[in-house]
Amino acid sequence: MNMSGRDARGPKNLVPLLLAAPLLLFMLAFYALPVVTMLMRSVSDPAWSLSHYAALPDDAVFQKVFLNTLYTSVIVTLGTLLLGYPVALALVRTRRWAPVILILILLPFWTSVLVRSYAWMVLMGRHGLINEALLAAGLLERPLRILNTPLATQIAMIHILLPYMILPIANALRQIDPSLARAASGLGATPWRTFRQVILPLSMPGVAAGVLLVFVLALGFYITPAMVGGPREITLSMLIAQQVDQLNWGYAATLSAVLLATALAIIAACYRLPGIGNAFRMNTR
Amino acid sequence: MAGAGRGASVSLTDLEKSYDRVAAVAGVSLDIRSGEFLTLLGPSGSGKTTTLMMIAGFEMPTAGDIAIDAKSVVAMPPYRRNIGMVFQNYALFPHLTVAENIGFPLKQRGVAKAERAKLVGEALELVHLPGYGERYPRQLSGGQQQRVALARAIVFKPRLLLMDEPLGALDKQLRENLQLEMRRLHADLGITFIYVTHDQEEALTMSDRIAVMNEGLVAQVGRPEDLYDRPSSRFVAGFIGESNFLPAIVRGIEDDVVVAECDGALLRALCPGRMSPSPLAAGEKVMLTTRPERLRFADGAWHSPSSSGAPQNRLSVTVTEAVFAGERCRYMLQAGDGTAMVLKEPSSAAIRRRAVGEQAEIAWSVADTILV
Amino acid sequence: MRRYRLNSPFGRRTALGLLGAGLAAPFIRPAAAQAAWPEVTSIPDALKGTGEVRIATFGGTMQETQQKAYFEPFEKLSGIKVRAFPGSDPTKVKAMVETGNVEWDMAQLSRGSIMNLQKHGDYFEKIDYDLVDSGVDAAYRFEYGLEMLVWAQVLAYRTDTFKGAVPKGWADFWDTKKFPGDRAMVGTSAGGWPEMEFALMAAGVPPEKVYPIDIDKAFESYDKIKKDVVKWWDTGAVPIQLLTDREVVMTTVWNGRMAALQAAGVPGAISWSQGLLKRDAWGIPKGAKNKVNAMKFAAYSTMAIPQARVALGIPYGSVNNKSNEYIPAERLQVLPSAPAIKAQLVNYNYDWWIDNREAVVNRFNKWLLS
Repeated sequence: MNMSGRDARGPKNLVPLLLAAPLLLFMLAFYALPVVTMLMRSVSDPAWSLSHYAALPDDAVFQKVFLNTLYTSVIVTLGTLLLGYPVALALVRTRRWAPVILILILLPFWTSVLVRSYAWMVLMGRHGLINEALLAAGLLERPLRILNTPLATQIAMIHILLPYMILPIANALRQIDPSLARAASGLGATPWRTFRQVILPLSMPGVAAGVLLVFVLALGFYITPAMVGGPREITLSMLIAQQVDQLNWGYAATLSAVLLATALAIIAACYRLPGIGNAFRMNTR
Repeated sequence: MAGAGRGASVSLTDLEKSYDRVAAVAGVSLDIRSGEFLTLLGPSGSGKTTTLMMIAGFEMPTAGDIAIDAKSVVAMPPYRRNIGMVFQNYALFPHLTVAENIGFPLKQRGVAKAERAKLVGEALELVHLPGYGERYPRQLSGGQQQRVALARAIVFKPRLLLMDEPLGALDKQLRENLQLEMRRLHADLGITFIYVTHDQEEALTMSDRIAVMNEGLVAQVGRPEDLYDRPSSRFVAGFIGESNFLPAIVRGIEDDVVVAECDGALLRALCPGRMSPSPLAAGEKVMLTTRPERLRFADGAWHSPSSSGAPQNRLSVTVTEAVFAGERCRYMLQAGDGTAMVLKEPSSAAIRRRAVGEQAEIAWSVADTILV
Repeated sequence: MRRYRLNSPFGRRTALGLLGAGLAAPFIRPAAAQAAWPEVTSIPDALKGTGEVRIATFGGTMQETQQKAYFEPFEKLSGIKVRAFPGSDPTKVKAMVETGNVEWDMAQLSRGSIMNLQKHGDYFEKIDYDLVDSGVDAAYRFEYGLEMLVWAQVLAYRTDTFKGAVPKGWADFWDTKKFPGDRAMVGTSAGGWPEMEFALMAAGVPPEKVYPIDIDKAFESYDKIKKDVVKWWDTGAVPIQLLTDREVVMTTVWNGRMAALQAAGVPGAISWSQGLLKRDAWGIPKGAKNKVNAMKFAAYSTMAIPQARVALGIPYGSVNNKSNEYIPAERLQVLPSAPAIKAQLVNYNYDWWIDNREAVVNRFNKWLLS
């Protein structure tokens, strides 16, 4: 659309690089360096070898934990997508309620993890609000176990991560020319078909960004599963913490490397999807 | 069906639209005939686009009725109205190819794939873009995008095509080409076009009839030459073409001609804007209007064809400015009472050019003098 | 690592610790404000000095009590300034010593943590026992640390669920017919040490024969309770919350946490029988700048009166034999160091755990996920 934007990215233009330099240096010193040091431990602790990696294929605990972490991330990503997309749509469609919706979306950002944990316990507990209400309504005879189950983890993580799904989608929806929906309608498309054939495909870059963010963030979750999750729920981050605590730093570093590699692989895969890589570049304004 | 031709007839009755109690359209009644090319012309904020959007169904009227082929469509959602529409910014779907864009309305109507491909091909031929089907909109120039939008709006053979300033974003050369193409398309298809523009020249060139809109109302409807020659109001006279305005006082009425005094001279004028001149009383202050190119210097060598034999108005003036503009000369004149006027004269080496400060007598036909 | 920080500005342990502190703090203060505490009026010159000592604690109510019990008095008596930091953690000690950036002069840890780390290298200074009070039993002294707090990991239950029946020992904890309801026990997710001893005693092993632990037998016993354990907890606040919210009817707890629960009016009680007697210890990280001051403080804090003051503020026991003289009889009844209670507890064998912890935790992971 805007051709001049592409020209500005010519190799001769060093201004963007210079503008980013302080942050790049900061990230190099305080992020890249520690990460590299940490990754080095996976091949150097206790002695130089690849034995930590070689052991992973036979490591049943690691495999179960890894699969459980991936599974939880998938569920949470789907959950945020299904719940978040309509909210994003509402956010963009209504003018009067947009600020209210936005505040409700951002509220979790401003609430400490402790307050949220209490809230979930109060809500989802064996004698919590949900159970008491269902019992009072006669819908249940005995309270349901929600807290301290994988479902509780998923609910809590969906709650925390919803904004990361809603905001990129809303951003993508907002960038869709409103006349496109009118054009579709005028050309004979029912509201559902307009959504399905025009709005949804055009919002895909936002969906991809949201899915990517939520999935990658969900991979690293730690406090929430420990607090509200089920008795047999161990995430990769929890396993890493446990191994750090046991002073198996080489093994912990190996697990961290796996986590990092998984996240990077997913980012790379998303980036290569046709149109979406472009969309990321377009959205960075 | 009420409309016998290929085009739909559209009838607007007391149509109103208000936003927060501010009226954008304040009571428009208009009958658009089957197969007609009608332009809604007006400055921005005059309500022309809002009127169009109500016909398309994107805006709900606050009051009044819209009937297409004598059937009210007010309660009908846009996707059931079967109206073609071209937007100012083209509104092409960026994620679909040209062929998919044009095929979109066909797909909604359940047209089979093979048939769709055939119709899309024909539509591309019609807008002179054969072979462009696989491209994406962003790979096309503005003019090409406009043709695609046009093809998409007509491929499903609607009986009515709405266009909202479709040429507004294009340069002058391209605009003129496309104006001609749209005229041709209109003639070929025979369907009803409703066209919105603020460009009076465009409106005059293309339309069968023009509805001039101002402040949410239709100021005048008519053929381009009617509007130009017989504006019914000062607004129309001023908005379409250039006009001189002469303040005058009514002195009498002769049949359908008003006699009015202006700067000591008695001028005769027609008054097409009124049902009859009878309500006018002697002594009433009125405004007369006339076109600059219809004035001439009374002692000049050049005579306009319209002037021969017809009754004339005459006025004494002083030349205050003289501009030679190639094909014509343009003079600023001042009457004795201070009224400024413009006179345009075809340039010719045979005609003496007037100097600034020169006294002159100008004359023009009574038929070109309108009381507004 | 970076990712979870997005969720919380705190480290996990800090976050969970605060959760506990929030729950306990309002109820513990009245206890601390009770009758006058015994005061130390003078100390030997050997414990005096200048400068400061930086101490890492477990934070929360414990640190509040420590502040009043011995940080403040020590400052006044010795002239050495005490700066306390919550968030003590053996892995931090490891990182500090390895990078040469030792920010703590002393850390509250367990003998297990200290010796486990010491197994991997030289991370702690030796204790200067010339300064330490004679009232501290040999059992509490080891080369690289000085134990300074006695506590118990015990069975706790809701008193309103079993119609007056009182669970005693681990066989009852395992018996879900006689005592129906969900359970919680210690897990391994954040470096917890599984309660193998309890599993063995549930299977009928007498308390004195628990060590050395028969690992296979312990897991066989664990199998029988697995489906009833709804939460494998990793920090002391969690079992208290579970009992309070009636998520479980019986759980293992750190004894000190139960006072807050009872003060809040929750019908809960400790069953001391077959509990584990555990200790916290002061460790001085290798190369600590103020290690001399740290040594002086360690000696002061284990004197009879400072130890008694802690026990008055929070129901944890003393390592100094002479402390009980300063503690009223009724208070003594709730302390794990009280003779009648101590007799029911099993002394935690840190040495066995130092050798076997890694194998047990890995096996526990596998067992839990199978």
